[in-house]
Amino acid sequence: MAHSTASSSAPAHLQHHFVDSDQQFESSKMGMWIFLVTEILFFGGLFAAYIVYRAWYPDLYVQASTQLDTFWGAVNTAVLIGSSLTVAMAIRSAQLNQIKGLIINLYITIGLAFTFMVIKYFEYVHKFEKGIFPGQYYTYEGIAHEKANIFFSIYYMMTGLHGLHVIIGIGLMIWLLVKAKKGAFSAEYYTPVEITGLYWHLVDVIWIFLFPLLYLID
Amino acid sequence: METSALKRLQVQRFKPEENPEIHYLNSERGLWSWLSTVDHKRIGLMYLASIAIFFFIGGVLALVLRTELLSPAQSFLDADVYNQVFTLHGAIMIFFFLVPSVPAALGNFILPIQLGAKDVAFPRLNLASFYIYTIGTVFTLVAIITGAVDTGWTFYTPYSTETGTNVLLMTLGIFILGFSSILTGVNFIVTIHKMRAPGMTWSKLPLNVWSLYATSIIQVLATPVLAITLLLLVMERALGIGIFDPALGGDPVLFQHFFWFYSHPAVYIMIVPGFGVISEVISTFSRKHIFGYWAIALSSLAIAFIGFLVWGHHMFTAGQSSLASMVFSFLTFLVGIPTGIKIFNWLATMYKGSIDLKAPMLYAMVFLFLFTIGGFTGIMLGALSVDIHLHDTYFVVAHFHYVMMGGMVMALLAGLHYWWPKMFGKMYSEVYARISCALIFIGFNLAFLPQFVMGAQGMPRRYFNYIDQFQPFHQLSTMGAYIMGVGFVIMFFYLLHSLVRGEKAASNPWGSRALEWQTTSPAAPHNFEHTPVVIHGPYDYHKPMSEFQLGIAHGHHGESHQPETLETVAETGTRP
Amino acid sequence: MSGHHISSAKFLWGIGFALFVLTFITVAVTWMHIPAPWNVVVAIGLAAIKATIVAAFFMNLYWDSKYNLMLLVMSFVFFFLMIGITLLDTLFRNDPVPAF
Repeated sequence: MAHSTASSSAPAHLQHHFVDSDQQFESSKMGMWIFLVTEILFFGGLFAAYIVYRAWYPDLYVQASTQLDTFWGAVNTAVLIGSSLTVAMAIRSAQLNQIKGLIINLYITIGLAFTFMVIKYFEYVHKFEKGIFPGQYYTYEGIAHEKANIFFSIYYMMTGLHGLHVIIGIGLMIWLLVKAKKGAFSAEYYTPVEITGLYWHLVDVIWIFLFPLLYLID
Repeated sequence: METSALKRLQVQRFKPEENPEIHYLNSERGLWSWLSTVDHKRIGLMYLASIAIFFFIGGVLALVLRTELLSPAQSFLDADVYNQVFTLHGAIMIFFFLVPSVPAALGNFILPIQLGAKDVAFPRLNLASFYIYTIGTVFTLVAIITGAVDTGWTFYTPYSTETGTNVLLMTLGIFILGFSSILTGVNFIVTIHKMRAPGMTWSKLPLNVWSLYATSIIQVLATPVLAITLLLLVMERALGIGIFDPALGGDPVLFQHFFWFYSHPAVYIMIVPGFGVISEVISTFSRKHIFGYWAIALSSLAIAFIGFLVWGHHMFTAGQSSLASMVFSFLTFLVGIPTGIKIFNWLATMYKGSIDLKAPMLYAMVFLFLFTIGGFTGIMLGALSVDIHLHDTYFVVAHFHYVMMGGMVMALLAGLHYWWPKMFGKMYSEVYARISCALIFIGFNLAFLPQFVMGAQGMPRRYFNYIDQFQPFHQLSTMGAYIMGVGFVIMFFYLLHSLVRGEKAASNPWGSRALEWQTTSPAAPHNFEHTPVVIHGPYDYHKPMSEFQLGIAHGHHGESHQPETLETVAETGTRP
Repeated sequence: MSGHHISSAKFLWGIGFALFVLTFITVAVTWMHIPAPWNVVVAIGLAAIKATIVAAFFMNLYWDSKYNLMLLVMSFVFFFLMIGITLLDTLFRNDPVPAF
């Protein structure tokens, strides 16, 4: 309430235009959720392209997905789920004022995210060596389908954009780490950890869908 | 957070001070205080200045086009330059002027004041979205200077992937603009949910806020699809990914689906906020409670939703399946229902009201007249069989100018004149405002009514040449465009005059009951010197003015003020 | 406060473990060669279950305000509208007149 908090002294993290910490926290969280909506629709465009072409050329998808390595896809899925777990643990640590736990969990998360990108890098390189490039630069002859380039355009767009989100996520985690080490977070104020966590979980959710859609077509 | 919905608040009356010495315009000085401001009002004004510049550029380009069309064959533009000019006119007017016009410029200024909040929920994000908008415009301007774009504002593939012009930079610029639009939408939705003053329940929200809410929802849901579409187009040009390119096995119609999934809802981004302004203006200048509050509020949301289901009516002749065309045609008719509800409610509000024909109300009436024509011709174009005949003719051009210019620009002008005293604390010349409104109304109809006729007779859009039969229509149209131009020039000068030597405005020059008029003109640095408490809706003209000026004295964090005189103790809902 | 739910460490590990198991099942079902189109249904169904678990228990939607849940649901609704209506075109391109 406006007048009840006016008499108590305000915490340092509270911005002047909010009445109290709860309002600020809830606003930030809602803002992040709305941003996640835009992310879902952003990827939604690519999923729509995927579905349209899959409905047109079901054979293409079956043939082309043999070029993707299910094993490494599954490993990457596990890596991302593991990083989601550590982010959830990081938020828990912050909520309980265990700053050391927060920092350790953030380190593990960043490590897992790097692992994901390294595996992704080797997958890409492996394909480039075969001549599997997107669109007009596609030169691989192992797939007997005239639209094979389209599948890989969609594959590169989806995984590339997802990879970009992972990299942005790594940047955000490093930022959190720096702030956590400076002692910016506590059980009273951990909003950036919470909303970065939401973002990271969404990146995980998108990969949860990408994995079966791209790798597991048989 | 409180669980009980009702709580007893002790409030006192705060009469707004007239001609305050310190207000948001002079509380800080210097260019840097503007460039680094997080005050939503100043950011709103910076947007206003930007869109005014782009409206000027887009308008000059329109006059160039109309001058070329005065006579058949080539007069001073060759065909390629003509293509580039109409592309720029379209892209500038839509992405740089219309989309940010009412939401980002007027909305930023007025939304928090109407809610009784100190600022939007994320002020720094708000400033960031202004700078993102600026960066996007810089990209586009560079694209224009280093070689213009000739695809039309729609960037249809495969032409846009093949043309030698600067599509890449232009689309990147618009991709960046999209982020600005998304962030503004996020900011507004959270602000409306979380930042309302005590007592400002959902049923007391001004209708302008409802329509900004609907607009923000569209911005948040549709703009990311534009972003991915443009990104795919950029990739198409840069890497040849081929999803939209028939030469590589792709499907160009898919691009149109994606593009219009954004761009049809985007025309509602460009008109729904105008509805909000019109609701405010009509109620204020009819001195009457708005008729059908919930009908108007919810029809905004209905338009926002139905707007997502109709994009295929842009593609009736593009080779989409006839099943899809039939479904889209049917769904298109549905948009007419909530729009009609609004028009009838506005008319019913004016019925037996004490109508005061001040400049904002004149623009609102012009809006009603022109937008209704635009809406009806839209229904005609939505009819599948009629559209086959009228598609890509001047009929379409006239239709969307009636909706966009006759609708949104008139609403923007109504809002600009309505809130001008609150923005600058100055009044403008009512006489010149009426003259300019009349000129714009006459010029507009002269420019675009003939286009309906020649469109129906088969004059295709986007052509720089035509057969002699159409010359009288084109000449009328060009004359109208110049008359409109004169109207805008007059407006520029009387508004400038108002800024420099205008009369000082009272805090509530229109006698409105809405919350934004219960603070000083120009507004205080933090909008209100107190925490406003709302017990009546913004259109309750049957209640005394004193009951609209209630609030709780507050200091900044830490200080506590005990109200000195308690005039009213009101029962009111708390912040949800 | 709905927004400050604190899960126990055991619970979070349990959720993580469940997700690992479901990932294994996702891969394992492809060894069974379920006939089309059911293989797609099963794969997407499992992904949807995993996503729901992440959203509910890692993103705390289960304890959060209903509005945030509605936001997530609405984003999927609008995605389905986009793809559903687009398919009305792309799946029926070849029929000159619809078959009804």
